[in-house]
Amino acid sequence: MTLKSLLLVGGALLTGTAASAGGYQVTLAGQKNNGMGGVGVGLSLDQAAMFYNPGALAMVKDRGVQVGVNATLARSAFVAQGGNQQRELRNSVVTPFNLYAGFGPAEGKFRAGIAVYTPFGSKLQYAEGWEGRTALTDIDLKSIFVQPTVSYAITDQISVGAGLVVLAYGAVNLQRDVPLPDSYGHIELDGKAETKLGFNAGIFFKPSDKVSFGINYRSKIDAQVKDGDVTFTGIPASFATRFEATKFGATLPLIATTSIGVGIMPTDKLTIGIDGNFAQWSKYETLRFDFDKQINGQTFSESKRNYKDALTIRVGGQYKLTDGLTVRAGGAYDETPVRDGYVTPETPDNDRFSGTIGASYSFGKFGVDLSAQYVSIQKRTETQQQLVNNGTTDRIAGTYKTNIVIPGIGLNYAF
Amino acid sequence: MNTFLFRKVTPFVTLLGLGLTACQPDLEKDFEASRGTADFTRYIAVGNSLTAGFSDNGLYLEGQQNSYPSILANQFRTAGGGEFNQPLFTEAQSNGSGYLRLTGFSATGSPITANVAGNAGRIAGAPGSAPYTKYDGRVDNLGVPGIRLADIHTANFGNLAGQTGAPTAATFNPFFERITPLGNSQSYFQRVKAEAATATFFSNWLGNNDVLGYATTGGVGGAITRTDTFTLKNNRIINALTANGAKGIVATIPDVTNVPFFTTVRVADIRARFKAANPALDVYIQTTGTAGAQVVRLATDNDLLTLPSSAVIGTTTTGNPFPVGAGLSALQSNPVPNQFVLDATEQTSVRTATTAFNTAIVNKANEKGLAVFDANSFFSRVAASGFVTNGVNNTASFIAGNLFSLDGVHPTPRGYAVVANEMIRAINIQYGASIPQINPNDYRGVKFPQ
Repeated sequence: MTLKSLLLVGGALLTGTAASAGGYQVTLAGQKNNGMGGVGVGLSLDQAAMFYNPGALAMVKDRGVQVGVNATLARSAFVAQGGNQQRELRNSVVTPFNLYAGFGPAEGKFRAGIAVYTPFGSKLQYAEGWEGRTALTDIDLKSIFVQPTVSYAITDQISVGAGLVVLAYGAVNLQRDVPLPDSYGHIELDGKAETKLGFNAGIFFKPSDKVSFGINYRSKIDAQVKDGDVTFTGIPASFATRFEATKFGATLPLIATTSIGVGIMPTDKLTIGIDGNFAQWSKYETLRFDFDKQINGQTFSESKRNYKDALTIRVGGQYKLTDGLTVRAGGAYDETPVRDGYVTPETPDNDRFSGTIGASYSFGKFGVDLSAQYVSIQKRTETQQQLVNNGTTDRIAGTYKTNIVIPGIGLNYAF
Repeated sequence: MNTFLFRKVTPFVTLLGLGLTACQPDLEKDFEASRGTADFTRYIAVGNSLTAGFSDNGLYLEGQQNSYPSILANQFRTAGGGEFNQPLFTEAQSNGSGYLRLTGFSATGSPITANVAGNAGRIAGAPGSAPYTKYDGRVDNLGVPGIRLADIHTANFGNLAGQTGAPTAATFNPFFERITPLGNSQSYFQRVKAEAATATFFSNWLGNNDVLGYATTGGVGGAITRTDTFTLKNNRIINALTANGAKGIVATIPDVTNVPFFTTVRVADIRARFKAANPALDVYIQTTGTAGAQVVRLATDNDLLTLPSSAVIGTTTTGNPFPVGAGLSALQSNPVPNQFVLDATEQTSVRTATTAFNTAIVNKANEKGLAVFDANSFFSRVAASGFVTNGVNNTASFIAGNLFSLDGVHPTPRGYAVVANEMIRAINIQYGASIPQINPNDYRGVKFPQ
C-alpha cells in the first residue's frame, strides 16, 4: 500500500481532535520533536525551538526554513450511560501545521526568526442522532499563531530568547441540536476571534557538550469572539419566537504553559530529552455565550468547565544512524485537565499516553522529517449522578474512549 | 537515493497502517446485553391505562406504540426476549378512543386543547364510541384503561351481554371487552392467569385507579378501595403471575397530587388574577365538611384545583356578580364546585391510601423476590427537582415539562420512555441482567400544532 492510498483510506475513516497536551491544546509544533514524544524545551534541535524554547534558538547551529504538516486521525467511541449502542464520529481530518524561518549571522550571537504554528484546535463531528446531540453535534476550533522571535547568546553556555505571539487567526464553529417538545431544531454559532497578543520566552543553558537545560513560558491569550453569527435551523413556526438571537460573543482562554526541559547528549550521535509542561488550565472555569437577543428567554448561556492545571511528562531521544539518517522515538504521559463529572463532548478528555517514532534524512542542506504518534486517551466514564451533583447536566453521562494516530511530514532547508 | 528513502519509509508507513486499523476503540463489548437470572422468552404486561399506553386522555395507536411494555419488550429482545403483541388499533382506527390535542395558546398563555374523535368503535354510525372493534390476536400487553385492582375478580367484565343491569365502570370495561372473546364471561384475573401459564416474565402495575378516581373528582366521585381488599387482590394476582416460576417487576403507585392535573391550576395564581380586577375579591371553594355537608370557604394555597377547573374558573355566570371561584366572603361568592377541589383532608386520604397500597405492593414483591420500580418516589423526585435525560431538562410541569400528556395524569411517550428506563434499571439490579436503556429524547413530549 502506498503512502498516498493509505492517506486516502485514512481520510475516509478519520476525524480529528486535539492531538495531545490535554484539553484543546495541540503540541505538534516541530516534526523532529513530534518523533521524540514532544520534547524540545531543553534541546536546540532546529528552528522549531522558536516554539519550544525561544531561548534555545541562538544555539541552533543552522539557519533555515522548515515546514511541517500533521494529520490527526482520531477515532472515538461513546456509549451513553445505561445504553449499549456505540456512537462514533463522523469523518473529518485536522491538519495542524508549522512553518519556521530562522535568520542570523553564521557565527554571531543573534538569531531572529518567524514562526507560524497552530497550538490550539479541535474538530469533532458526532454521529447523527447521538445521545449528546443537545450538548454538541459539531465543533471546529482553529487558531493560527504568528510569532516573530529574537534570541541572543549571552555566553557560549547561556542564551535567552523571546517571541511576540500574535493570535493571527482564530475561528470557532459550534453546533448543537435544540430540544423542542416534539422535535429538534439546530443552532450554529460561528465566529472569528479578535487579534490578540501574547509572548513566548525562554532561557537555555548548556554547561557542557553532554547536558543542556531549558525553561520556557508561553503566556495566556484570551480568544475573544465579539460578533459571531447565530443561525437557527429547523425551528417550527410555533417555537420561532423563542429563538431570536442573531449574534453572540464568547471568550475562550488559550492557556499559559510553563515548561522545563533537560537535554542529555551521552555521545555525538545520541540525544535524549526530558520535558515537563505545566498547563494552567484552571483559568478555564466556564464557557459563556452572550447573545444579542433571547434564546428561550435567556440572553446568555453558561456551562461549567472547572478545569484544573495539568502536567505533561515527555521523554524522547534521537540517534544518528548514518550521516544522513536519524531515527527517533519517545513517549508522553499527559494528565487531563478535566475533572470527573465535567467531561464535555467537545473535549472528551482523559489522561493520555502517547508513543512516537520519527526519522529524518538529510541530503546536504535539504532534509525530510517524518513522524508518527499514537495517542491513547484513556477510557472515561461519567455518571448522571456526577453530573447532577456538579450541576453539569448540560452534558451527557456515558463512556468515552478515543485513540489518535498522527502522521506528520516536514521539509527543511538550511541556508 | 530514492529507493533508499522508499526502503526506509515503507516499514514506517506499514506501521502507520497498523496503527490506524487498531485506532478505532471498541466499547461495545463492555456493554453487552445479558438477561442475568431472568428469562424474557414470553413477557406479559399486566396493568391499567399506564400499561396500555394511554395518553392525552385517550388510548390511540401512537400511545400504544410508545407504551412502556412495548419499549421494554424491544429492549428485552437484546437478551433473548421473544415476540410481544399489543392489541394495537389498526391504522384505519388509529384515533382509538379519541384523544386531546393541543391547538394553541390563548392570549394569556393558557393552552387550548381540542378533542380528536375516536374511530375504533364497532357500531356503524358511531365509530367514535365504544364498544370497540374486537381484537382477537394474541395479547401480551394486558393493560386495560380504567381498571382498578378492586375490579379484577368481576365476572363479565368484558361481556356486555352478561351485564345484569346498566353497565358501569365497576361492572364492564370496553377496553377489556375489546380483547375478550365474544360472550366470554371471564374476569380480568382469569385472563391474566391464563396468559401467565406460558409467561416467563411479567410486569404488574395495577392499583392507580383505586385512588385516582377519587382524587380527580375532588373526592366527590369514586371511592378509594379498602386497603384489605387491595392487599388481598394484589396478593392473588402476584401469586397467579408467579405460579409457574415467572420472574417480574412491579411498580408502586405514584402520589397523584404531584401530577400536573393537580399542580397546574394554582389558588395563588387565581387569587392574583381576581385581585388584579378587584382587590376585594378572593378565591372561594366548595368543599365537603363534617358529616358530608357542603361548605363554602376561602381557598388556601393548600387546596389543589384540578386541571378541568381552569375551564370553569373565571367565567361569569348569569345571576351572579362574581365569576366562578370569586367572592367577597363565604356568603357572597360563587365558589369553585367541589368536584374541582382536592382539599387538605382529601389529599390526606389520597396519600394515606397510596402509602398503604404501596406497602402491600412492596411487601408482596419482596416475598416473591421481584424487582420493584418505586414509581412513587421516582415521580416525587421528578416533581421536586425535574429529571434530565441526556442533557435535556424534563419536569413535572404541564406541557413544558415534556413528561406528562395533555390530560395532566398520563405520561407522554417521553414519560413512558423514562418509566421504561427506570424499570430496566430495577430489573438489571434485581436479576443481575444488563438490559440496555433507551434514549428518552428519541420520544416526544407534548405534540405542538404544526
